[in-house]
Amino acid sequence: MTPRLEFEPKEEPKEPSKCMRFLSLLWKFCSCVFSHVILVSLVVAYCLLGAYAFATLEAEHEREVKRSIESLRGNMTEDLWKLTNKDVILVDTNWTDSAMKMLKNFETDLLKKMKKEGWDGSEDTDNIQWTFTGALFYSIIVITTIGYGHIAPKTQSGKVVTIFYAILGIPLMLLCLSNIGDIMASSFRFLYWKVCCYVCTKPPRRRRPRNTRGYSVRQVGRYSNRNPSLRRSVRASQRSADSALGLSESMTRSSYSDTECRYHNPEGPEVYRRSEASGVRPSTMSRYSDIPVASPRVKGGRMTTGTASLDRKLIVTPTEANKFPVLFNKYALDPEDEPKTESSRGTNEPVEAARDVERGRSLGRNTDTGPGAASRVSGLGTRSLPRHLSVVNPPGNHHHRQRSQPPPEIREPVLVEMESMKRPSRMRRAQSYYGKADSMRSGPALPLAVPGRPYRREAPSPRVMSPMGFAVHRQIYEDDFDIDYYDYYVEDNERAIAQRIKPVPIWLCVFLVVSYIFGGAFLFSEWEDWNFLDSAYFCFITLTTIGFGDFVPAHRLHAEKSIALCSLYLLFGIALLAMSFNLVQEEVINNVKSVAKRLGIIKNNDDDDEDEED
Amino acid sequence: MENRSWSSSSRRWRGSYRRKRRKPWGERLADWTRNFIAFLFSNVGIVGLVVGYTIAGAFVFTAIEGKHSLKRSGDVARLRYFTASNLWEVTLEENTIRESVWRNRVRAILKKYQKDIVEAIRNGYDGTEDNKQWSFAGAFLYSLTVITTIGYGNISPRTEWGKVVTIVYAIAGMPLFLLYLSNIGDILARSFKWTYARCCLCRCRRKPRGAGAPPPRDAARMNQWQIVKVHGGELETSSIEQEDSSSGGVAEDEEDEDEDDDDDEDSYDPQQVTVPLTLCLAIMVGYVCGGALLFSKWEVWDFLDGSYFCFISLSTIGFGDIVPGDEIYSSEGFELSFVFCSMYLMLGMALIAMCFNLMQEEVMAKIRTLGRTARHIFRCDR
Repeated sequence: MTPRLEFEPKEEPKEPSKCMRFLSLLWKFCSCVFSHVILVSLVVAYCLLGAYAFATLEAEHEREVKRSIESLRGNMTEDLWKLTNKDVILVDTNWTDSAMKMLKNFETDLLKKMKKEGWDGSEDTDNIQWTFTGALFYSIIVITTIGYGHIAPKTQSGKVVTIFYAILGIPLMLLCLSNIGDIMASSFRFLYWKVCCYVCTKPPRRRRPRNTRGYSVRQVGRYSNRNPSLRRSVRASQRSADSALGLSESMTRSSYSDTECRYHNPEGPEVYRRSEASGVRPSTMSRYSDIPVASPRVKGGRMTTGTASLDRKLIVTPTEANKFPVLFNKYALDPEDEPKTESSRGTNEPVEAARDVERGRSLGRNTDTGPGAASRVSGLGTRSLPRHLSVVNPPGNHHHRQRSQPPPEIREPVLVEMESMKRPSRMRRAQSYYGKADSMRSGPALPLAVPGRPYRREAPSPRVMSPMGFAVHRQIYEDDFDIDYYDYYVEDNERAIAQRIKPVPIWLCVFLVVSYIFGGAFLFSEWEDWNFLDSAYFCFITLTTIGFGDFVPAHRLHAEKSIALCSLYLLFGIALLAMSFNLVQEEVINNVKSVAKRLGIIKNNDDDDEDEED
Repeated sequence: MENRSWSSSSRRWRGSYRRKRRKPWGERLADWTRNFIAFLFSNVGIVGLVVGYTIAGAFVFTAIEGKHSLKRSGDVARLRYFTASNLWEVTLEENTIRESVWRNRVRAILKKYQKDIVEAIRNGYDGTEDNKQWSFAGAFLYSLTVITTIGYGNISPRTEWGKVVTIVYAIAGMPLFLLYLSNIGDILARSFKWTYARCCLCRCRRKPRGAGAPPPRDAARMNQWQIVKVHGGELETSSIEQEDSSSGGVAEDEEDEDEDDDDDEDSYDPQQVTVPLTLCLAIMVGYVCGGALLFSKWEVWDFLDGSYFCFISLSTIGFGDIVPGDEIYSSEGFELSFVFCSMYLMLGMALIAMCFNLMQEEVMAKIRTLGRTARHIFRCDR
């Protein structure tokens, strides 16, 4: 391992970037193809398969039920005949009473047939519900979790198959719908801003850090509606993990960076610095803070843990310092390169000071003695600004020094940690342990500020504040992070930039959904002979996936046609809902957050924004 | 007490960037309102909020739909009487002449009657004279199925107003229930993780805490967790609520987290543990099967029907072909059954949310590992 590491730096400069680019392209292509084409065809194939299976399983049973109705009525006639023949003299009231009783029984039988055995009310054995089309509709109804229940499996095998079919199908459908919703959202956003509002280029309105948001909303959304894509759910889980536990540092960084860059604009270094200060530039910060750790010797030790990444190798190359801004700033700094370099050049002094502070801090962490802590505390005021600057400065001037200098000092903590990771398989624990230790250590220094810290704009959270600790944490997650990073940064890049200044107004989305419902109501009232209210009610119940099933299409029109129309309507409608969720999410959450802040309920804003979202 | 502690802790950090006004009465009122709202949306309050919302919905729907359904069963009774007298007339006319003619005519009448009955059933007739569908219990279950988007459809509104109110009710109610799910699911996930980490993984870890006496606050916290654990962690909401109420509101909860981090510094963190997929699946399957057992005992379903019902309900598909209380609509057991069913649903959906939560973490970790491995391979090939 180690020898390879040593010669690698020399051949480094070109290859990794090429291969990473290739990898990212490949990844992008694969994910694109997979998510959009294969997924849709998979869902269609799954529906067809389900339709075939259910039609075979249930059709025969339905025919039997229909035949049994005939015999039921025959029995009834027979009974009436017997009743009539029983007595020689027929008394009006007596006969009518008995007949009423029989009719009541007959009624109950019919009721049972309909409710329990799924009889649809007609006796024509050729005209069954479980045709291929009906079963296809049923499959769609199941995997969208609408569940009208107008046809339901009545055989044992049908029920079992339904359960397993739903277990597999529901996640598939969610994935597909959220993908479609994503595509529709981006295209709609594009349409809206290119076509409708070409002129208006809104300045950004919010620069609040987004740490305080109620993250769990997302999850619920993921769980119960079609909204979030896989990518999004990654973020959601990270966020919720972070909000709930405040421990999964590195992953949340990435999510923050993504959202932050949507709202923080290339207005000037000031804004930018703030976002940086709150720990939002994961790529640059983490990688640069990696540098000391990645000096060959230490890295050799680290390699044994099995977490070496292309990036780190890149970082190690001492001669190619000028390269990494190219590589990494590409992601993190796209439009903001100019102001930042300027500002960093303008403030060289703080950089030095901050680095000293950092070094002191890292020492202090290592030994946990007084001086380190003292310098840490003293460095508090300037920390946020200079750290960022030292991190972003591209010319590599400081990095050279930083890289060349630290090893003697910094190797220590790393090695100590390596030792303390007695069990490599439990790196996560060890890592979290360090994270906690770190936050605890900064706790006494700022006893009051710690709880409120995540809520404040200027103050980064304790975990982020110590770059070395951060770097140490990041070691393990580095690779993961890169994967993630590529996964959605590359493909999200353009969109993120587009989203940054171009939120689609909420009212438009609400209007879209409402008009879709009303349009559907109008269409269905034409097709199905329902009145308008009934149709609107049907559309609402369908699109919210409540699905009572008291109104189901396909009674008037030709069954196949109306089923096809209804399926199209609901599939597109759910995708549309996903799209509008996608569009208004950020906007609404921010609105509600501000409202909640005004009310003083910071943490509990989640439901309000859901309220408005719906 | 809870409100006070919350407000004090909240004021501490709010004061830093919020300008404080000096209006004693207005301030107090505003604070009180805020605290109340915050409490409503806290973990304890949300349960009460959901239940209260459902109960309110039950009252509204009973009031709107109750009259209508009475009219319907009267219609059916009239139809039956009419048919019987029809049959009587046919008998008078045809009886003595020929059997086959009589049969044909009776068959025709019965067919018409059957068609009418089918229509009535489609419109919500359920076979009982005094229609109990829109009793309070039925309406409660209905409200719950609306806001959970299960939508059994065994009872559904038939009046214009019922439909409109249902739409409005759903628009407000579904986000509320989502919030409930997220909150409770989060709590359950956390406590389950904790339980899992402490109970199942203890053997292979070092002792979580040294011999030194833990700080009092921490001790209290431990006790609360103890309660949760004793009650079975994920199956007892009340114990979790207890934990929450004593931890004192929202902002302090956050503080708790930080403190927790600090306290636990010499142990691994339970929240970093990823619960294995199989365990989550086992919990879900176990919950469904447990529900199936209970329902098959309560109702007269067999086990398959029970588990089918549980699955269809918890996945919010909600066909409504099998509905609890089916056969006790007219008996006294109904109330208990519907209470049990609603509890089962609310708890079960929170539990499923929890399991999804845990599973997602696990799956993401797996995917990440996979990606890392892929990159490794790629790199080695190079």
